[in-house]
Amino acid sequence: MTIARRDLFRMGGLAAAGLAAPGLLAACASTSSPASGEKAAAALRVSLASDATTLDPQKQGDLSSMNVLINVFDTITVRDTDDKLVGGLAERWESVDPRTWRFHLRQGVTFHNGEPCDAAAVAYSIERLIDPATRSPIVELRLVTKAKVVDDRTVDLITKEPDPILPAKLSLFGGVVVPPKYIKEKGEQAFAEHPVGTGPFTFESWQRDSQITLKANPGYWNGKPAVEQLTFRVMPDPSSSLAALQSGEVDVVTGLTPDAADQLGDAPGFKVVTAPGVRTFFVSLDTTEGPLKDKRVRQALNHALDVPTLIKSVLNGAAERTPTLIPRQAFGFDPAIQPFAHDLAKAKSLLAEAGQSGGFSLKMSASTADKDIAQAISGQLAAVGVKAEVSLLDPATFKGRLVSDNKKALGAMYYVGNSGWTMDASSNLQSFVRHDRRQSRWDNSRADELIDKEEQSVDPETRRKAFTELQNLLIDEAPFLYLYQVSILYAVSDKVRWKTNANGTLAMASAKLA
Amino acid sequence: MTGFIARRVGHTVLVLFCVATVSFFIVRLAGDPVQQMLPPEATAEQEATLRASLGFDRPLLDQYVSYMTGLLRLDFGQSVFFHRPAFEVIAERLPMTVDLAVAAMVFTLAVAIPAGIVSAVRRGTATDTSVMASVLVGQSTPAFWVGILLILVFAVNLRWLPASGTGSPAHLVLPAITLGLYSAAMIARLLRSSLIDVLGEDYIRTARAKGLSGFKAVTSHGLRNASLPVVTVVGLEVGSLLGGAILTEQVFSWPGIGRLTVEAITYRDYPLMQATVLFLAAVFVVVNLIVDLSYAVLDPRVRLT
Repeated sequence: MTIARRDLFRMGGLAAAGLAAPGLLAACASTSSPASGEKAAAALRVSLASDATTLDPQKQGDLSSMNVLINVFDTITVRDTDDKLVGGLAERWESVDPRTWRFHLRQGVTFHNGEPCDAAAVAYSIERLIDPATRSPIVELRLVTKAKVVDDRTVDLITKEPDPILPAKLSLFGGVVVPPKYIKEKGEQAFAEHPVGTGPFTFESWQRDSQITLKANPGYWNGKPAVEQLTFRVMPDPSSSLAALQSGEVDVVTGLTPDAADQLGDAPGFKVVTAPGVRTFFVSLDTTEGPLKDKRVRQALNHALDVPTLIKSVLNGAAERTPTLIPRQAFGFDPAIQPFAHDLAKAKSLLAEAGQSGGFSLKMSASTADKDIAQAISGQLAAVGVKAEVSLLDPATFKGRLVSDNKKALGAMYYVGNSGWTMDASSNLQSFVRHDRRQSRWDNSRADELIDKEEQSVDPETRRKAFTELQNLLIDEAPFLYLYQVSILYAVSDKVRWKTNANGTLAMASAKLA
Repeated sequence: MTGFIARRVGHTVLVLFCVATVSFFIVRLAGDPVQQMLPPEATAEQEATLRASLGFDRPLLDQYVSYMTGLLRLDFGQSVFFHRPAFEVIAERLPMTVDLAVAAMVFTLAVAIPAGIVSAVRRGTATDTSVMASVLVGQSTPAFWVGILLILVFAVNLRWLPASGTGSPAHLVLPAITLGLYSAAMIARLLRSSLIDVLGEDYIRTARAKGLSGFKAVTSHGLRNASLPVVTVVGLEVGSLLGGAILTEQVFSWPGIGRLTVEAITYRDYPLMQATVLFLAAVFVVVNLIVDLSYAVLDPRVRLT
């Protein structure tokens, strides 16, 4: 009894002492020592924000599943650590005609069960992905109609319209290769619970909502990984995963928010790493009605924003400014294009020219996850008399409205992010620019022509020129408020040597333990 | 008694039927799993293809009828995101949920019963005030905060216990305390007030007059008579513990039903949402039935008819 009472009092005392738990995190970090090798030296433990939904790589579309499966499966092409597109399961590829891409496969690659990874396996994988019965959420291969085996090591992918960036798309999960014999023999369900791929790690075990364990694949075609065992631990609470890093229970924590990274700082035992990312953010403007119909108003709003200050004060510097919708690493990004300058006088005169010197009010929607930045943007627009009333929606509702047929469902303005994982500007523009696309609220015939050009031409120079003209048009017409591309923030224990790529996925084959 | 149970079982079936019907229609107001499943760059055509292959394009009534007939065969439908039967997804999390609920209940009772007795017996003294004050702190601190605090002290600083996850009994300690603290506070307060009423009764005075020690009188006569309201609340608490302690599971990365429910809602996974709601309803109905039956055992004056 007295013990219980003392415990409760102690709780009370702590409650009074530490109202700011995140602050305590940092304080504790400086007083405690890093993990003392309680695990075997070659085991790497990584935290995941949620469990994988399924381990069938063609039936998942969430970040956690991808992070696990990128280590078990290979894709036809890959991005190396410098984000260059290089061979994966294919050694090289070429465009045979505008609607046919030919892939020459690497020789001697086998799945973890010994099954050969040949042209038949690649064709099977592509056909399985595009079969509606698979119910795949992966949408990149929408133009592919057929995969044709040419010989044992050569596959042709036929598209209904030209797809110039198909090889880049195949570096994502659309290009994953699965074992046909294994799936046919064991069934879909068994494959989803015990995946077999060609990747650097083999599947070991999966405790639902708790952890997934992989083992190094000794016969990996690209060399056996340095890490013997790779464990993903599901930790949905960001504070808990940081505590687990501090208590030496995990070695890598990704997906940190700028706030969390800032509070954590560089404490002994681990460090916070900032790496460039490709996810761009911007504000979509409804150019079809109201004051935003006038391009001078749209330009004025762009001039009213002080993007460097937004990056510094709200994101703690963890972002890089983008002049338009295209991130710096993407093919088609033109470094000569200058972003809008922060110029309140110019903004006000443009508004006056457009007859809006008195300002106006409209709604700006954002997901609750982006509440701080949306409010900061609204605050900056207020300086030129534009009242953007922030309306916050839970992420699922926000997404539902974003993809709904009603293009006005999120109001005159909304703050949104877009990941162009193919690292080709085409992906950054595809849903937002051409007037008939799902998230486009801008009708400009020249822009439509340029989109058609870059989407249908296989000649890189033609495409590059189209992108440059598009970016100039995007600046001139200003159908969006352009912001930045956010950096990837993660924390790693000092005993781990690992670098993320711009996709921010947890491909751990290159990780080493000190 | 048999008639009572038979009627209650019939009642249960009716409740579950209503819950299944209401949840079927309500989840469909929350949004669309197909929209959550596909990336924003999916085309309208791709969305329509996926919706059709999941059968969500069929008339609503049609979907309802096949859902209800499925239930008769214990088929709760296929989870959209996990690509597996919804029942299987829930059943898999059940053992972990039960582990945590039992551990939390043990902690709750171990704290609440002595706290309640001491406060009642020493009513109005400094002991009573301090026990009830500490209990109040337990009831008014949120689980996510207590949880993080316990992790910082016992996992990060002292390194006595693991910060989160599962795998050993040591993993259970911190989440069980975090979860049990709230119920402990509530039950201790309830036990105290109900025991104070009972201790004023004539039969307690008679027991003392017969020469029974104070301790014996309280435990064998007082506690039993004071336990009826407490048992009701304990029953309801067991229900909510089994239903999932979302915050605690989140903080300690515990793979329980609570987190699963949140995931199902986040993904707008209709079949899984429906199945978790039905599961929760079933847990509460069964727990209530057990509580009612226990009244008759605890107090022979209660007749279940």
